Amino acid sequence: MTKAIECINLVKKFGDYCAVDHMNLSFEKGKISALLGPNGAGKTTTISMILGMVKPTSGEVRVLGMPSGTKELRQRVGALLQDVKAADGLTVKEVLQLFRSYYRNPMSLERLLDISDLHADQKRRASTLSGGQRRRLAFAQSLAGNPELLLLDEPTVGMDIEARGRFWDTIQALASDGRTVLLTTHHLEEADAVADHIAVIARGQVVAEGTPERLKAQTALRTVSFRAANAPDEQEWLTLPGVERAECSGERIRLFAHETDELLFKLMQSEWGVSDIDIQSASLEDTFRSLTGSNKQTIIR
Amino acid sequence: MLHMFVAQTKAESIRIIRSPFFLLFSIAMPLAFYFLFASMNGVDKSIQSTTWGVFSLMSMTAFSLIGTAVSQFGIRLSFEHQDGWVRLLKLTPLSPAVWIGSKIISQMVVHLIVIVVIFLSAGLVHDIQLTAGQWIACGLWLWIGSISFLALGALLGTLKNANTSVAIGNVLQMGLAIVGGLWMPLSTLPSWMGSVGEWLPSHRYANGAWNMIAGKNPASIDFIILTGCGLLFMLLSIYIYNRRDAV
Repeated sequence: MTKAIECINLVKKFGDYCAVDHMNLSFEKGKISALLGPNGAGKTTTISMILGMVKPTSGEVRVLGMPSGTKELRQRVGALLQDVKAADGLTVKEVLQLFRSYYRNPMSLERLLDISDLHADQKRRASTLSGGQRRRLAFAQSLAGNPELLLLDEPTVGMDIEARGRFWDTIQALASDGRTVLLTTHHLEEADAVADHIAVIARGQVVAEGTPERLKAQTALRTVSFRAANAPDEQEWLTLPGVERAECSGERIRLFAHETDELLFKLMQSEWGVSDIDIQSASLEDTFRSLTGSNKQTIIR
Repeated sequence: MLHMFVAQTKAESIRIIRSPFFLLFSIAMPLAFYFLFASMNGVDKSIQSTTWGVFSLMSMTAFSLIGTAVSQFGIRLSFEHQDGWVRLLKLTPLSPAVWIGSKIISQMVVHLIVIVVIFLSAGLVHDIQLTAGQWIACGLWLWIGSISFLALGALLGTLKNANTSVAIGNVLQMGLAIVGGLWMPLSTLPSWMGSVGEWLPSHRYANGAWNMIAGKNPASIDFIILTGCGLLFMLLSIYIYNRRDAV
């Protein structure tokens, strides 16, 4: 299978702060992938290195089989960045025509206006558009070159639920043309709705990766949480029957397991001094939070 | 490549001309000051072997072009940097050379329009005693001389904070105009100001045109200071841009 993007041992340090910490990622061609993580996880830094805007401290990025940031890639890759204001003085149509002029094989103006749903506003100055409309214009600008790879940094920020749904449909239509899409998001729901492949990152590292189904399989786990007066060493928690993962926040220990009956039995029999037991089925959101949380200690078997 | 260049130049020119700041500070204000100064001092009253009506026309056209170069080129560069526009363009196949080249060309097209509009307005209102050759020579001098102020704009555009850029740009524009003798002749300013003013590129810029309307050639010191400052600003801004890219 061919890779659209490969990050090999990628590191980016800003002074002492390590924004991206030995990241290994690869995304397949023709798929929609999501880089999912909380704010400050290193998503934008990673995207910036893939685009060649930021030089890695060490490691390598290959995009469509080439080193990132080459002239040829600028023809073939479209990007939607965060925090870019609209050009003043130009109308929607003028902005799109200008961007189309940069590329060998631009997408038609009609299709760009269709995708951004700005037909009625094409003669308006870009600077007078509403926040959501501006985001759609910026999205159309990223498509002006008819790119085979599309990188979208937090594409749905500022969109309402309805607009977000329409946007996901558009992304899926673009991918069905054979384009590769990589988007960053901090909404699990968004990654789940649109992506074929999700890489969860936290503190500059990949903490989980796979199809949404595979990540969801982890939510089939139930959690047993309790207080323990004399808990043994952490590694011993994982030896209990059926325990897949364990974490500890404050005094509470939380065990993730597929089957809890036998586990409970063992716990009650143990010398741990277990009290205040609570049993829950973990949601996808919980899994995400436990994977990316920084104030908890997680141990995965 | 050519298509890209033409489209970019067209877009940059449209952006300047549609800017309300351009209409106000590059056209309306210099014209208003011209008519004010000319009528206050008397259109036909003589000054420096010419009349106020012509003298002030050259001063105010120079004032307008300095302002256009500093704000529409310099301050705009700072804003485009701050607004992420530069970052976005770098991701497209538009090369930096085509981008900056089209900015300079569109700026020069606009400068030519400014000269024509201001000269025409003055010529229609007042009876200005200049030969066709003088009109053209003065226009060309002011047009080509404005390149030095584009270089000053480029230097200002290296500032990443647009608010700082606006503040410094306004001080520069006003300072260069007033101390350079564009509003009041240097001889009427306090002597210390005059002795600073005669070395300023703004004074040398206007002085070349004043010489031509009096039937003389621009002084060689006009050429030297205008070209020298232009080259200095250009080299400095290229140095700063390159150093920033290397980081």
